[in-house]
Amino acid sequence: MIKKKIKIINKLGLHARASSKLTQLACNFSSEIFLVLNKNKVNVKSIMEVLMLAASQNTIVLIEANGPDEKKAISEIEKLFNNFFGENE
Amino acid sequence: MFSFNIHGVSVSNGIAIGKAHLISNALLEVVHYQLDSKETSKEIKRLSNAINDVKKDLLRIKKQLQKNSSEEFIAFIDTHLMILADKNLSEKTKKIISKDNCNAEWALKKQVDFFINKFEQIEDEYIKERKNDVIQVVERILKVLLGHPNQANQINNESSTILVAHDISPADALQFKKHQYAAFLTDMGGSTSHTAILARSLNIPSIVALQNARDLIKNNEKIIVDGDQGIVIVNPSEDILEEYQNRKNLWKIEQKKLAKIKNIQCKTLNNEKIELLANIEVPSDIESVKDNKASGIGLFRTEFLFMNRKELPDENEQFKIYKSVVKAMKNKTVVIRTLDSGADKLTSADTSISSNPALGLRAIRLCLLEPQLFNIQLKAILRASKFGKIKILIPMLSSLSELRQTKLLIERAKNSLDNKKILYDKKIKVGGMIEVPAVAINADMFAQELDFISIGTNDLIQYTLAIDRTDDRLSHLYNSLHPAILKLINLTIKAGRKYNKEVSICGEMAGDSKLTRLLLGMGLKHFSMHPSRILTVKKQVLNSNIQKLKPLSAKILKTKESNNIETLIQKINQ
Repeated sequence: MIKKKIKIINKLGLHARASSKLTQLACNFSSEIFLVLNKNKVNVKSIMEVLMLAASQNTIVLIEANGPDEKKAISEIEKLFNNFFGENE
Repeated sequence: MFSFNIHGVSVSNGIAIGKAHLISNALLEVVHYQLDSKETSKEIKRLSNAINDVKKDLLRIKKQLQKNSSEEFIAFIDTHLMILADKNLSEKTKKIISKDNCNAEWALKKQVDFFINKFEQIEDEYIKERKNDVIQVVERILKVLLGHPNQANQINNESSTILVAHDISPADALQFKKHQYAAFLTDMGGSTSHTAILARSLNIPSIVALQNARDLIKNNEKIIVDGDQGIVIVNPSEDILEEYQNRKNLWKIEQKKLAKIKNIQCKTLNNEKIELLANIEVPSDIESVKDNKASGIGLFRTEFLFMNRKELPDENEQFKIYKSVVKAMKNKTVVIRTLDSGADKLTSADTSISSNPALGLRAIRLCLLEPQLFNIQLKAILRASKFGKIKILIPMLSSLSELRQTKLLIERAKNSLDNKKILYDKKIKVGGMIEVPAVAINADMFAQELDFISIGTNDLIQYTLAIDRTDDRLSHLYNSLHPAILKLINLTIKAGRKYNKEVSICGEMAGDSKLTRLLLGMGLKHFSMHPSRILTVKKQVLNSNIQKLKPLSAKILKTKESNNIETLIQKINQ
């Protein structure tokens, strides 16, 4: 299992479109992927769980991946976060 | 069958007669059944099938949208597809079915209630709103389970069907656009709701805020929609039906007659040219602007670009929209009003709601407090000004210092474009809305510093008479013919004349053909209105001689009682 802390840098945080993109990406991997914020741990493959995390700009979340492609999963997700979820800001 | 009337807020004019088509609120219909434990696997299968049906349906909609809709809408359907595929929805509901031995509808409602509850606890107002997406997806599944999937698709294309719904979601709106409804009625909503915008773009009558119409009206019941007065008549008597049939026919004949004056130059009998401009909300309104031969756009309400969306539009997006409008209008004037909504309408701005939003932090007040947001819009407008004849209109000014600050910000936006060597119209005109009484009273001071003036009568009436426009109980006091209102309009027109600045009216009064002659007599030369009103007003202009109207207008301005004013208005229109 790999764990990594990532800071949310985009303005609106994990809003609907960002959450959609994150979930879409996560579904490409066979590993289990979780997002942890405070006491909440949510399955990244569930759009509703990601939305309900309501993570805003500048919060630091912990990403956990567990499975055969965990390394790739973490690096791709990190890329998405740091790329402002592909939105122009 | 007894006949009764329901009153609401008319958001689109015209008359429709037809049969009611009720769109249900599926969540309210769900009832609980106890199942035999042997039946649960069948029930789970039923749920899976329903989810699958909805998935097919959404994919079909997406495919249709890909042909001709914005990415915004497609992203919206994508989110719905992901919610549908979410195991939290499907798998957990299945677990409830097998654990509680209950029907699929009930289990789904139980699961969605759990989510709604969780969403309610989120502090971020914007993410909280996403619960509506979940509800809309669940509604779709429930409708399949309850045996009436996609009611909008099932109806025949008879053009005399009247849609009756609790509310219309943007996704519904897209679907309804393809079906020829004769009118829309909703329990919820205001003049800026999806329903209103949709109805106006389709040019069909629509009444909203009917409270509980959906419970009172039964499916297939005969109804008359009087979009001119905001009345729905259910099960009309033969006499009433006949009267409305006549009115509807007359209206049609009138429309045909009006079409004939489209290409005539807009001049009064004494050869004065009068400018009739259009108010628009979204770029797609341009079609009807051109169709009615407006001489330009007198009011482009930009706040609609900021509403019903996930993020604020950035400079490039705004620029593209303004450019598309100004290019479509060729060399005709396009007056772009800067953001005129309150903070509550913006996704990222401060969302604290004051108890009196009409008097609160909105329009230019908000823009001056959020200069970054304003700067983005100003730069986008300036960049588009290179492609045609754009003017900037500042809403809700209440003091000269606000105007001066705004002009300073416009200069700064110009400077930053200069630094980047981006071209724009250096002589772009800056006008102000007169809607706060304080400004109307001092109209001559403002006229000296503005390039043009636009009177927003809707707010001017609300602020002058201290009447909340949204409160139905006060609607009898909301009176555009109050002597004080006419006096303020007259002051403003005079100030414009004195300093040689164009004055226009862009509120509802401009589109009310009963008032056209009075306003002409007062000296108004520029009217901006909903495109559908242009030809009716034009007909009045073509038949008026301003010289002859002046004495009666002057008399009206001296009249003390609104009742007497109305009598004189009838006289001036003879």
